[in-house]
Amino acid sequence: MSTRSAISGTEHTGSEVPLTRYRFSVDDYYAMARAGILTEEDRVELLDGEVVEMAPIGSRHALCVDRLNRMFSRRFDDRAGVRVQNPIRLDGYSEPEPDVALLKLPLERYADAHPAPDDVLLVVEVSDTSLERDRALKLPLYAAAGIAEVWIVNPEDGEVEVCRKPSGARYSDVQRLREGTVTPLAFPDEAIGIQEILGPAESE
Amino acid sequence: METAVSQRRFTVDEFHRLGEVGILDEDDRVELLDGRIIEMAAIGSRHAACVRRLNRWLGERVSGDLLVDVQNPVHLDAETELYTDLMVLRHRDDFYSARHPRPEDVLLVVEVADTSVEYDRRRKIPRYGRAGIQEAWLVNLPDRRVETWHSPETSGGYDESATLREGETIESTTVPGLSIEVDELLP
Repeated sequence: MSTRSAISGTEHTGSEVPLTRYRFSVDDYYAMARAGILTEEDRVELLDGEVVEMAPIGSRHALCVDRLNRMFSRRFDDRAGVRVQNPIRLDGYSEPEPDVALLKLPLERYADAHPAPDDVLLVVEVSDTSLERDRALKLPLYAAAGIAEVWIVNPEDGEVEVCRKPSGARYSDVQRLREGTVTPLAFPDEAIGIQEILGPAESE
Repeated sequence: METAVSQRRFTVDEFHRLGEVGILDEDDRVELLDGRIIEMAAIGSRHAACVRRLNRWLGERVSGDLLVDVQNPVHLDAETELYTDLMVLRHRDDFYSARHPRPEDVLLVVEVADTSVEYDRRRKIPRYGRAGIQEAWLVNLPDRRVETWHSPETSGGYDESATLREGETIESTTVPGLSIEVDELLP
């Protein structure tokens, strides 16, 4: 049920000559790793059949992720699993590694298979330089897979983009929050402060 | 090859390995263009017939120090290995069993295009030029003409080009004495 997104299938560049990229399945992706074609040196994700390199993680990005990890773990303790930069399997052609994902418990249920869309309560991506890439690439894949809620946290711009109501390859309810609180759909009793998510404002 | 994302590019060695371990198999008609694995269109019968015509015609005319190659790969660099419809190659005693032909082995590359005209003309031909392949022809079936290029430029593409239509004759600039009437190729 994968959507043919703009990043794979046909690729349009400035010269407007479409390239039909070969799409690798998740099985192909793992076979590549077993064959030593992909190694630990490849920091990659599989997005709609395309093996995509992940950008190196800057210190601010890492800090934001660590803070989110701590905050979610404390708040959701026994109620959700907190997965940090590990794979979730969207369908046969996509296995992204979101910065943070809140998962249904128990964690042991993921021993033999990565979380599927139904197992994922919330995806959080921290964006700085990767902002456009995350929006353009990954958001449509999350929406098409039916992931109910995605937050894009942008500490540089001081904004949390809350995406809900997946419809086809997009989220039809998108709010950009700079203050106040956001309450995850899966936990209606947990209003989380935007400032708590973004972290202390940088003094520059 | 400007793209919005950092695709993980594959080398020719990795491309071959994907075939060896069965991730890519014979049913996958793919080639490697600047590290990206591209699906080639299925070959229709018009395309196939044109290739057969050219194969016979070239085979009858090239001298013994040259080879005619059909639908085999040319290795352009570490990240590019493309399938060509036909090539006129310098003869090698091992018939290129040790390694695929490289640009310096190729006198003429011919692409026949039915559904892939844009891809052949705007992606593959300029890439052949950048690699230094001396001469390229594109048999454009839908438009019933043959586009030709020679004098490759390292920045990509060719310096000289010409378009020949029905009733006209193509003269190769690299293969001695080779000339063909467009009408013979496009009945």
